[in-house]
Amino acid sequence: MSALEIKHLFGLRGVSKQDIRLILDHAKQFREVLERPVKKVPSLRGMTVVNLFFENSTRTRTSFELAEKRLSADTVNFTSSNSSVKKGETLVDTLRNIEAMKIDIVVVRHKGTGVPKFLADNSKAIIVNAGDGAHEHPTQALLDMLTVEEKLGTLEGKNVTIVGDIRHSRVARSNLWGMTTMGAHVTLCGPSTLVPRNTELMSNVTWESDVKKAVKNADAIIALRLQKERMDDALLPSMREYRNTFGITHELLECAKDKVLIMHPGPINRGVELDSEIADGENSVILNQVTNGVAVRMAVLYLLAGGRAHE
Amino acid sequence: MNKIVLKNVRPFVNGKFEAPTTMNLADGKWVKEDLTDATVFDAGGALALPALFGLGLDFKEPLRDDIYDFKDGVDAMRRGGFYGGLYESSDNAIDDSRKLSAIKQISSFAGFAFGFLGAFSMGYKCKELTEMIELAEEGAVGFGDGNQDATRTRFLRLAMEYGSMTGKRFFFMPLDESLRHHGLVHEGHYADTLGMKGIPRVAETIAAFRILEMARFLKVPVHFKQVSCGETLKLIENAREQGVDATCDVDIYHLLLDDSCLFNLDSHCNVVMPFRSASDKEALWQGLKSGTVNAISVNHDPVLRQDKEVNFEDAVPGAISLEIALPALWKPLVEKLGDARALELLSFAPAKIAGADSSDLSLGSKANLVVFNDKEETVVAPSLFAGQVRNCPLLGQTLSGKIKGSYLGGLWTEV
Repeated sequence: MSALEIKHLFGLRGVSKQDIRLILDHAKQFREVLERPVKKVPSLRGMTVVNLFFENSTRTRTSFELAEKRLSADTVNFTSSNSSVKKGETLVDTLRNIEAMKIDIVVVRHKGTGVPKFLADNSKAIIVNAGDGAHEHPTQALLDMLTVEEKLGTLEGKNVTIVGDIRHSRVARSNLWGMTTMGAHVTLCGPSTLVPRNTELMSNVTWESDVKKAVKNADAIIALRLQKERMDDALLPSMREYRNTFGITHELLECAKDKVLIMHPGPINRGVELDSEIADGENSVILNQVTNGVAVRMAVLYLLAGGRAHE
Repeated sequence: MNKIVLKNVRPFVNGKFEAPTTMNLADGKWVKEDLTDATVFDAGGALALPALFGLGLDFKEPLRDDIYDFKDGVDAMRRGGFYGGLYESSDNAIDDSRKLSAIKQISSFAGFAFGFLGAFSMGYKCKELTEMIELAEEGAVGFGDGNQDATRTRFLRLAMEYGSMTGKRFFFMPLDESLRHHGLVHEGHYADTLGMKGIPRVAETIAAFRILEMARFLKVPVHFKQVSCGETLKLIENAREQGVDATCDVDIYHLLLDDSCLFNLDSHCNVVMPFRSASDKEALWQGLKSGTVNAISVNHDPVLRQDKEVNFEDAVPGAISLEIALPALWKPLVEKLGDARALELLSFAPAKIAGADSSDLSLGSKANLVVFNDKEETVVAPSLFAGQVRNCPLLGQTLSGKIKGSYLGGLWTEV
């Protein structure tokens, strides 16, 4: 097994093409494992993984937990709502206490940008980012990439359009770094209040305000979840206008390629960013994404643990 | 009072450094006569600079003396060569004359020159005016916002209108809270890349413009603290052309760092005002060169270790600077602006803004000075700092120049 260059997974910005390739290739193998009657391998037997979730999550936490169990790791779930964090314990103290229980890998989700790196700076454990603020959600992007490769054969030269709340989306950021590294061309589209104003560091992507133009040449469209709080914050006037302007509808897809893949990180606001008939339609690969999520997380955990074993 | 003979030292007198000489210091003065029983210190050709004056001191006492107090602050001033400073606490509004009297008493360390900003609103809340006339009579240097946005424009008008009776200057950190909207860092490509909420430049310029218009309307002198972008400097220049009495300072760290430091996600870089872009930093340097910027401020704001040893966004904002301001800034200041302007910006101009006596050196007069070797280096280690705090964005870096000692209030401190 080749080792990853990275020792932790904080995000996909700066991660090499070789590392991403290695993860995706291993994920494909684990995808096959998930199709077997016995969906378990002994790769992480004897290792302990803590899922340290300071933000609510059902889908990502379940996916990680399944990945860990499929790799035969011992898993512990730690959520802020039932923890000493509620009693005022600092992040470092929480980590050090957990670490003192001899854990090997920490999967962390937190509202703050850079928390995974902060934990890595203060710990010996392997850290995997399961979403930090609006910064990155690397395993989501990796599963998106795996899904595109699975359906289209390669990411190289493919056009991927991401539509929605780019400004607040960690999924969009990880995808644009990862997909462009792998040779895809990424187009970003959203209302002007929900896209970053300063895009110098994202110059290798195309910004398009007209959603019809944005989807025209797309091989895959990723619709981002629209959070209701955005309305309360006056970033948008209404869900209705958003749906009519930026929603992925049957009418919009008439402007796109016939076989365009429809993707969504979930959970979906049906009838807002994605119409039901599209979410459940023949172009939708949303459930494939969910399955691939487990495979990608298995690959990430396996490779990072292996990398550590090589030291 | 102790006596000290500084040998082989180059004092800054009448706008230039003299040839290496001996300075006899006694009872807080630079004296002609030879001293007996004096401590002798060979400065090895180091510079003897007029001591510095710090704009933006917050020593946390009395409300948060668990973090820091005046004793720590004065210790930091001795280590950094500051003989005085303009004090304003964000947590502890000096909003009546008894509080001012009490804090003056707490701060009465012999020989140090503290100026105090009274609050113009009770608790900085912009709901009730303070008794500004009494505060001025008690010695308030001016009236400040406590680095909190004066959101209610009518209240701002009334405060400035009432306060104008005292003839004192109003001090503002221009930052529109509504536009800031929980932002912690400069709204630019680094913030967008990291997905962090940004503070746009217009949050500063809109607040500054409102204050300048009010100052023009009411003919009240104003001072802007910690200007962070070139656009605000242009507004100030324009207002001055229209007759507004407006002064401003820039923060030491804004001259040294820009928002590219965000990529390290070091919580020591979590400060208000935020570090802006490289072009903003350059504009501030241009402002120093052109004279638009009157002074450099230190904004010494102690934060406990545990409040900084967290992830960036959860860290308490603030930075300390007294101990390292001189070695951090001296070389770039002298290279770009010359030594006379450097001292103007770090010492004479800040003192003038605070209405304090200058620390100009001359034989036979009062002497507050710092001995600084510009050929040596300073490693910014935790042991440099007074008290229990370490919240310095330059921690671990090596700076050009080293403070060898200070003579402040008649007391020699070897560093």
